Amino acid sequence: MKSDQKISKYGKLERKNFKWVYLFLLPTIIIFVMFYVQPICVMLYTSFTKWDGFNEATFNGFRNYQRIFTNSAASSSLWNLLWWSVIAMTLHTGFGVLAAFVIFNKPFGWKFTRAVFMIPNVISGAAWALIYRFIFNDQVGMLNETIRTVNPDFSVQWFYQSPYAFWAVTFTWLFYAVIVTLIVFNDLSAIPDSLLEAARLDGCNGAQLLFRIQLPLCRISIGTSVLCSITSRISMYEAIALTTGGGPGDDTMSLSVLLVRAISDYQYGFANAIGVVMFIFGLVVMQVINKSFRMSDSIY
Amino acid sequence: MAIFKKVLTRILMYAVELLIIVLSVFPILWVVLSSFKTNAQILEGAFTVPTGVQVGLETYAYLFERYDFLLYFRNSLLVALVATAISLICFSMAAYVLAKFQFPGRSLIFILFTITMLVPGHAKAQPIFSMINSMGLYNTLTGLTLVYLGSGIAMSIFILRSNFMSIPKELDEAATIDGAGFFKTFVRIDLPLAKSGLSTAGILMFLGNWNEYFYAALLITSEKSRTLPVALQFFNQSLTYDYTKLFAALTVVVLPAIIMYCFAQEQVQQSVAASGVKG
Repeated sequence: MKSDQKISKYGKLERKNFKWVYLFLLPTIIIFVMFYVQPICVMLYTSFTKWDGFNEATFNGFRNYQRIFTNSAASSSLWNLLWWSVIAMTLHTGFGVLAAFVIFNKPFGWKFTRAVFMIPNVISGAAWALIYRFIFNDQVGMLNETIRTVNPDFSVQWFYQSPYAFWAVTFTWLFYAVIVTLIVFNDLSAIPDSLLEAARLDGCNGAQLLFRIQLPLCRISIGTSVLCSITSRISMYEAIALTTGGGPGDDTMSLSVLLVRAISDYQYGFANAIGVVMFIFGLVVMQVINKSFRMSDSIY
Repeated sequence: MAIFKKVLTRILMYAVELLIIVLSVFPILWVVLSSFKTNAQILEGAFTVPTGVQVGLETYAYLFERYDFLLYFRNSLLVALVATAISLICFSMAAYVLAKFQFPGRSLIFILFTITMLVPGHAKAQPIFSMINSMGLYNTLTGLTLVYLGSGIAMSIFILRSNFMSIPKELDEAATIDGAGFFKTFVRIDLPLAKSGLSTAGILMFLGNWNEYFYAALLITSEKSRTLPVALQFFNQSLTYDYTKLFAALTVVVLPAIIMYCFAQEQVQQSVAASGVKG
């Protein structure tokens, strides 16, 4: 009786379509189960075990997680992730937003600038990492060559010397904020002219227009940008693996580099605990950004 | 004072533009130019200009003779194209029914699909690595293609669903009255009208797959299944200190993507901008 009522919510024609509807969903559900449900279940479960992939996994409680917070490489990757997230949120997103406003004002060459800005993002991250390895190379690199015109004795191995390596890795993505720029630009263009006109009639000057009207109206796209740029910090891999490999010491270690290392050492339980930490970090960031940018409230 | 301020903002705007152009173009330009210099010239100074094309031609000839670049290129293209095509078909079907039909479990399924966005792709590396291994697909392009299938699920369904929702229901009803079945309505009416969403999702997934390095490096070791980004890592190891050849290899890997981008510039930019709407 109860189930009859439930089904009667749908019309006869709709019910006739059910088999098609589920048939259409099936391929995506298969992909979803294969590449999300199953791996995530395995990841959650085995993160509490000691497992090498061949022998039976044996339960060892929170030991893998303990290791993440006590192991020096793992804890420095957590700190690095935190710092990189802060940098992504402030400097990286800030530069992207600045570029969006510049391009929005359509100075000479704005289209070219926008087109060119995208190039570092369409080529592979692996290639980009290697290019920067050469730019920062002490012998052949552009950077030190330039500095040497002022100070002939200058010599720093940017990727291999302690305080510099972190910043060298940071620089490979710091200014390349084209995604932020495009997303924010999209929102900026969507602001109705009538609104800006009204503000101008009320005596708004340029700076007031910028800070009181345009920036607040781009709130959601800026929030999205912050989220995107932090998410890419969580899974940053090429820019480290192909430049410093995590060194010197653990200066530029990241969770994904550590994860790959754990897989090749057959420490699958530890690898999956790292995966879970990445996952949780992502969830927390998402919640915080959603709350602080009030992403679910619409703007207009 | 007002004029002074205006000039200052102008200068600032051009400074930002200049910075962007320099940072985006110089590194690549430098790599391409350096591949035409001898090792000695490269070591002599970063800003020396190549003396001719002779060195470059020899280097490229050597690289193409020694390594099967066309194979790597073909592998990359094959994996990226096949994965993008299959997932586009699957996701557009799912997005279509999620946009246009009422059925039990509709919102739950939609939430489940879009929540995948929260899972960092690299976090589930071990389970996926073991799964591909146990399927006997380690070191094969099939395995890599399979892994890429799941990569764009949330974003694509989001983009495609809103695209299908914007197609008026009357069109589907008219088709049904004219005797078109469920499948025919989808293929003949809705799919052609969702072209913009399909190209947006397709471009984003293709770019992601084409440049993907993490899983490719994890799952591919043999030469015959190497994709371009993985091949690069191999050159990096085997050609250390042979700068000319390394720069040439980098150029060869980077150029196809840039050329493709030149042809589809506007669409790529629009796609990236649209990806932000998912919020």
